[in-house]
Amino acid sequence: MSQVGTQPIAEPHAPDFGEPTAQVMGRSPWELFWRRFRQDRVALVGLGFIAVLMLVAISAPLIARFVAHHGPNELNTNLTDAIGLPAVGPSKAYWLGVDTVGRDVFVRTVYGARTSLTVAFVATGLAVTLGIVLGTLAGFFGGWVDTLVSRVMDIVLSLPVLLLALGISAACSIKATGCLAGLVQPGVPLVIEIIALFTWPYIGRIVRGQVLSLREKEFVEAARSQGFTNPAIMFREILPNLAASIIVYTTLIIPSNIIFEASLSFLGIGIPFTTPSWGRMISDAAGNQLYTAAWWMLLAPGVALVMTTLAFNLVGDGLRDALDPRTGG
Amino acid sequence: MGCATRWTQGREDELGGEEVGQDEAWIHESTGFDKGRMKERGEVVTTKRTAKLLALVAVLAVLATACGGEGEGGESETPSVEVTQGGTYRTSAEDFGFTGAFDPTGEYLGSAWGLYTSLLLRNLVTYKHVGGVEGDDIVPDIAESWETSADGLTWTFHLKSGVEWGPPLNRDVTSADVEYAFERINAKSLAAQYGYYYTGVIEGMTGQEKAIKPVSGIETPDDSTIIFHLVAPTGDLLYRLAMPATAPMPKEVAGCFKRAGEYGRYVMSSGPYMIKGQDELDVSSCDTLEPISGFDPTKYIVFVRNPNYDPATDESREANVDGVVITINTNTEDIYNKVLAGELDGTGYPAGEPPAPILRQYLTDPELEDKLKIDSGDRTWYIFMNLLVPPFDDIHVRKAVNFVIDKAALQKAWGGPSHGEIATSIEPPTVLATTAEYDPYATPNHEGDVQAAMDEMKQSKYDADGDGVCDADVCDGVLMINRNYPPFSDMSPVIQDNLAQIGINIKVRELDSSTAYTTDQTVENLIPIAANAGWGKDYADPSTFAVLFLESGISCTGQVNYSEVGMTQAQAEECNVIDAWNAATSNGQNPLPNVDEKFTECNAALGDARTTCWTEFDQYLMEEVVPWAPYLWATVLSTLSDSVTKYEFDQFAGTISYSRIAVDNGLDPNTVPVG
Repeated sequence: MSQVGTQPIAEPHAPDFGEPTAQVMGRSPWELFWRRFRQDRVALVGLGFIAVLMLVAISAPLIARFVAHHGPNELNTNLTDAIGLPAVGPSKAYWLGVDTVGRDVFVRTVYGARTSLTVAFVATGLAVTLGIVLGTLAGFFGGWVDTLVSRVMDIVLSLPVLLLALGISAACSIKATGCLAGLVQPGVPLVIEIIALFTWPYIGRIVRGQVLSLREKEFVEAARSQGFTNPAIMFREILPNLAASIIVYTTLIIPSNIIFEASLSFLGIGIPFTTPSWGRMISDAAGNQLYTAAWWMLLAPGVALVMTTLAFNLVGDGLRDALDPRTGG
Repeated sequence: MGCATRWTQGREDELGGEEVGQDEAWIHESTGFDKGRMKERGEVVTTKRTAKLLALVAVLAVLATACGGEGEGGESETPSVEVTQGGTYRTSAEDFGFTGAFDPTGEYLGSAWGLYTSLLLRNLVTYKHVGGVEGDDIVPDIAESWETSADGLTWTFHLKSGVEWGPPLNRDVTSADVEYAFERINAKSLAAQYGYYYTGVIEGMTGQEKAIKPVSGIETPDDSTIIFHLVAPTGDLLYRLAMPATAPMPKEVAGCFKRAGEYGRYVMSSGPYMIKGQDELDVSSCDTLEPISGFDPTKYIVFVRNPNYDPATDESREANVDGVVITINTNTEDIYNKVLAGELDGTGYPAGEPPAPILRQYLTDPELEDKLKIDSGDRTWYIFMNLLVPPFDDIHVRKAVNFVIDKAALQKAWGGPSHGEIATSIEPPTVLATTAEYDPYATPNHEGDVQAAMDEMKQSKYDADGDGVCDADVCDGVLMINRNYPPFSDMSPVIQDNLAQIGINIKVRELDSSTAYTTDQTVENLIPIAANAGWGKDYADPSTFAVLFLESGISCTGQVNYSEVGMTQAQAEECNVIDAWNAATSNGQNPLPNVDEKFTECNAALGDARTTCWTEFDQYLMEEVVPWAPYLWATVLSTLSDSVTKYEFDQFAGTISYSRIAVDNGLDPNTVPVG
C-alpha cells in the first residue's frame, strides 16, 4: 500500500446548477416532453380551448336548459318573417339569433360541438386503431401480408371519397333499417364509418414504414432470441417506439376529420337535422344565400369550426415539436 | 292581367325523376309522371265545348283565388314600355333537363315544349302562347280548317299554304310531314313518352312497331289534306294534336335517326326561329349530317330567325325578338344575380326557386316590384302516405296527419305566399274551381290543429289508451323521404315536430330530387310517408291529377300511385309486397279503396256533370281515401331585367312565352357569347 492509496480518489464533481445539493436527475421521456410542450404557449392556448370546448360539449344540455332556455330542436316559426327568413338576430333571448325555422343558433352551435367532437374522436379512434393494427402487421410480416395491406391502402386512398359517401348514404337511406342488415345506418354512425374507412391508411402507412425499419433493430432481435412471440414483439417491443409519431398524427387527423364531418353534413349526406352539426348549419346558411339576410346563421358555426380545427392543429404542431426535437421548434 | 294567377305546367318537379328508358313502355313511361306531366291512359271524352266550359270555370277560379290572396308582390302586368322588336332574350338554366334528348317525338319536358311550340315547330293546331286561361285555347297553326264526321271518328284537316321548312330544306310543309310524325310516335324504338295520347286512339297506332312505317288510320290524299280515323270519339283530340310530338317532321332528315333522342341534335324548324347553324347542314344524305352547331346539350342553345317563316300564316306567335339564347349555369343564385345585374334578360327556362334574400329584394324594392312575375303553376305539392304501411294503413291516422300539419309553416319554408297558396285538396282550383272553397281539414290560420288531430288519432287502432297520441311501436322511427335542399330541408323539422305531437316519430331521409323520386317509385321500398313530391298538369283537366290514384298507376319500379290506392293482390304479389298487403287488408277481406270506376265515370261525363263528378272524386279522395296531405298550390316565379319591354307567360309550357316577349337590348343572337 503506498501512500498514494491513502486518500480515496475523489469523485468528479457534478457541475453546479445553482442547487448545491442537486444530483443528476433522470428525466423520463414524458417529463422531457412536458417541459418542452409547456414552453409552447400557442399549443397551450389550443389545449385550453379544446378543454373548454369539451366542457361546453359535455354541459350542452345544461346550457340549453339553464342559460339559453331553448332546446336544440325547438322550433318557433313565429320568429321568421313572411317569406321565411329569420327575423330575430343576436338578441337577449337568442344570443346568436335564430335560423329559418326559429331554432336557437347559439344552442345549436353548442350542441354542434358535441357532434363534431364525438365524430372526430370516435372516427379518429377507429381509424387509428385500424391503421396501427394493419400497418404493424404489414410492416412486421412483410411478404404477401404487406402486399395485401399496402394495395388495400392504395385502393382506399384512390377512391373518390365524397362520391362514394354520397352513394353509400343514398343506398342506405331507402329503408328504415339502413343497409347491410342495419349495420350501416345513415346519420352519425354512417359518417363515423365513412371517415374511419377513408382515414386509416394515413396512419397505416406511417406505422408500416416505421415498423419496417424497427423490426431489423437489435432490440427486436434480442427479444426474438429470448423467445418472444410475434404479437409480443409487435405490440410490446416495437409499438411503444411509435407512440410519438402516432400521437402526433392522431392529433393532426382529428381536425381534418372535423372538417370531413362538416363537409359530409354540408353536402347533406351526413348528420340528420335533429343532431345539430356545424357543417349542416353552414350549409343551411349558405344555401339560398341566406347569410346575406341572416349573417348570424353562418357566423357562429363558421367561427366554431375554424377555432376548433385551429386549436387541434396548434396542439398537434406543439406535440410534434415536443415529441420529436429533430423537426425543430 | 291584373292579379291573375295563371296556369302553367310543372317546373321544379319536372326536374325530378330519372331519365326515361327507351324500350319498356309503361313502366318507364310512368317515370315521366314525376316530371310533372300527365299520363292519360283512358280516353278522355271531352268535347271542345266542355273544355271551354272548364276553362271558363277556371277563369273564375283564378280570379277568385289569386285576387283573394294577400298582395303577392309582382304583378303580371306588362311594363308600360312600348313593345320593341329585335334584340335577344338571354336566359340560363341549371340544366336543360331533357327527358328525351330534345327529340320532339319523345321529349316530355314542359320547358322543352315551350321551345318547340313557341320557336321551332308548328303543329296542326297550337295554343296562343299566353298566360292564364286564354293560354289553354286551341287555335289553328298550320291547319287552315278542319271538320269532324258526325260519328266523331273521322277528322279531316286542311293545311295552309306558305308554311315552309327553314333552310337548307326550303320546301313546303306537307301533310306527309305530319303523317311522318305519327309514324315516329308509332315506332317502339323512338320511345314516344306520351304516345298513349295517340295509341289506341288513332287506328293502326300501337306504339309497338318495329319499323317506321305508314299508319293505317292516317290518310294524306294530297299535300294539304290529312285525315285521321279514330278508334273511338275523342273530344279532346285537338289538345293532343297541339303537343309537339305531332308536329310535322321532315323525313329526309328525321328519317336518318331511328333511335330515341338522336334527332334531338338535328331538329328542323318549321317555326319562326331555328337553331343557329341549321342552314349550314348538308341534307343531301344521312351521312353528311352533322349536329347543328348552335346546340350543345351541356352548354347552350341558340335560336335565330328562320328566314323562311311567313308571319302571315301564323296567328299565335309575335316573334318580337331576333333570337333566344339559353346557357347552362349550374348555380341558381348566380342566375338570379345575373338577371338582377342585367347580364341576363330574365329567368324563364327552369331555374330553381329564387333565393329568399333575392326574393325579398323584389318584394320590398319598389323599383324591382314589377320585375317579379308570379304565374300559377297548376301544381300541387303534397305529403303522401302509404296505405300499406303502418301506422298509415289506418285512415284515422292519415286524417290526423292532415289536421296536425302546420301548412302555414310549410308555406313559409317555401318563401311565403308568392310561392303559392296553401293547398286544401288534391286538385288545384285552377284546374277544378270547386276546390277553392273546400277544406275538409280546416285548421285555424292553416297552422294545424293538434286537438282535432288527436281526436282522429283516438279512433285509430294505434292509440290503445285513447289519449290522442299514438302509442304503438309502429309509430316510432317511421321513415320519411324528403329532398336534401331548401325549401324541402326547411320543411323536414316542421313536419317532424308536427307529427311528434300525435306520437308519430319520423326518421327523415334526405335525398337528392331524382333519388328521392326513384325511391318513392319503387313499390317494394314501402315508403311510409314522403314530402318530396309534387304534381303538375299536362293540360287543364282534373283527370290529369285523378290519374295518379289509379290501379294502373302502380308498377313495381315506376309507379306514380305512391300511396298504392286500389292495389290488387296480384300487384302486391308481383311487386313483392304481399305481406304488407295482407296485413293492411286483413288478407284481402278489407280491400284497399279503389277509384278506377269513379274515374271512368267522371272521364265520360260532360259539362256540369263532369265538374260535379270530378268534385266528388276529389272529395272522396280527400275524405274517404286520404292518400295525401296536400300543402301548397305552387306558382311559377320569374324575374326580369330592365331590358324586357313585354312579358308574357306561356300557359301550356309553363315557361316564359318566347314568341311573345320583347326586349330592347339590341343584341344580335349570333354574337351573344355562350361560353
